[in-house]
Amino acid sequence: MSRFFQYLFDGLSSGAIYSLLALCLVVVYRGTGYLNFAQGEMSMFCTFLVWKLNDWGMPLWLAAICGMLIGYLGGATVETTLIRPVAKRSQFAVFVVAIGLFLGLNSLAGAIWGAPPQETMPSLFPNEPEDFQRIFGASWRYQSIGILVVGLVVTGLLFALFNKTRFGLAMRAVASNADSARLVGVNTGRVLAASWGLAAAIGALAGTMVAGTTGEVVPGLMFSYFVYASAAATLGGFDSLGGAVIAGLTIGVVENMAAGYAPKWIGQEMRLGVALLIILGVLLVRPTGLFGEQKVSRV
Amino acid sequence: MSEILRTHDLRAGYGLIEVLHGVNINVDAGEIVVVLGANGAGKTTMMRAISGMIPRTGVVDFLADDIAHLSAHKVTARGIAHVPQGRGTFPELTVEENLRIGAHSRRDSFAADIDYWYGVFPRLQERRLQRAGSLSGGEQQMLAIARALMSRPKLLLCDEPSLGLAPLVTRELFEVLQRLNAETGLSVLLVEQNANLALEIASRVYLLETGEIVSSGTPDEYMNNDAVRKSYLGH
Repeated sequence: MSRFFQYLFDGLSSGAIYSLLALCLVVVYRGTGYLNFAQGEMSMFCTFLVWKLNDWGMPLWLAAICGMLIGYLGGATVETTLIRPVAKRSQFAVFVVAIGLFLGLNSLAGAIWGAPPQETMPSLFPNEPEDFQRIFGASWRYQSIGILVVGLVVTGLLFALFNKTRFGLAMRAVASNADSARLVGVNTGRVLAASWGLAAAIGALAGTMVAGTTGEVVPGLMFSYFVYASAAATLGGFDSLGGAVIAGLTIGVVENMAAGYAPKWIGQEMRLGVALLIILGVLLVRPTGLFGEQKVSRV
Repeated sequence: MSEILRTHDLRAGYGLIEVLHGVNINVDAGEIVVVLGANGAGKTTMMRAISGMIPRTGVVDFLADDIAHLSAHKVTARGIAHVPQGRGTFPELTVEENLRIGAHSRRDSFAADIDYWYGVFPRLQERRLQRAGSLSGGEQQMLAIARALMSRPKLLLCDEPSLGLAPLVTRELFEVLQRLNAETGLSVLLVEQNANLALEIASRVYLLETGEIVSSGTPDEYMNNDAVRKSYLGH
């Protein structure tokens, strides 16, 4: 039984990161209708900045906040200068720009910080070998608890932003009908830039936590996390914040359970395959994902 | 009477194709001005050009300021509300959220306005927590008009509100417009293809053909004009 709780808890903790990154994808998707392929690399780049600021002597938590602010500005700038001008032409152009951004940021990180840099990254949370609590026979590391709490808090704040604020209502209005949003006086350009900024800021936080668990920052930092996150966003229905969170946590738990209980068959190498199989199954039955909305249209 | 809107040589289109070839119209404060025109005459393009949804050239004077260079959200903030063709509600938002976003350009409190519109359209109050996408066509049109008026505009642009509605529902809707016009002095620019009801509430009428205003006059003149009756009134 303690094994079960261990896998469950580890799964929730890695699931929290998938959820955060999936939220970034959903926030961008709801506003603009595209999957941001560069989301993971934007997070990675911001994480390097956080590491560098910390390396220069700034406390890590402060560096993380600065990284999020830089991420916000960077994300908003990317949307206004790179994405919006080509979005008028076609969806494929946006796809190509995002792929270009992906490769560009990846090489830039390598070029600035050495190839391949292996920088030692401290964790935001206490992470000594003795920093854990035993609950139900499983060891709950403070680091993992911290990630889970941060994930829940960020999710809660996002929900409050979307459902309780004037700006959140404007974001939902743009997602629902961009033309009508302009007609009621919403500055849609500002809303889209803010969506990208917000996603990049959350991505910076997620990246910092990922690097804290592995202890290093490398250009490929967010690679597998991005795959899991897009899987979570797809499973959750792509336009649903709650769906992304639940799907992210579920994928985390399932892959940990599968890898833990069937180490020979699945183990560390095949865990991604398990997650993708579940998603394939769900999408065959429910093409809009678990919580996605069937677009309402009236003739 | 003071003039609220005047366009001069208003030109607009899509891509390289010009649809409006220099439209001149004006709306005085407190008027309901109806623009008649066949399918493809450029009625919707004219509305979109006025509210800044598409690039346009020429002059759009609103309350004596040229707004032809402003983008749509700024035009709304100046006091023009546009109910687009096909209603343009936010289907995923609730009825009440639709009304709240309607007040986006305002900085003051608007809770009383929501209650006011629930008074005008009690059906909206019954469905306030339902998604707008689940409303009937008539209810959506009421919501679209209430939402537009949440911004407390000085001029309401209404693009074919009767489209897809039963004649009785259209009549009810036009009565509301007429009442608002009489009670609050709201100016309305109404574009219609089915003109019978529109002419009943109109103060003045323009006829738009292939992107140009070809005539203007009083509603009576148009109701008694044989050619117009054949083309736009169906009898």
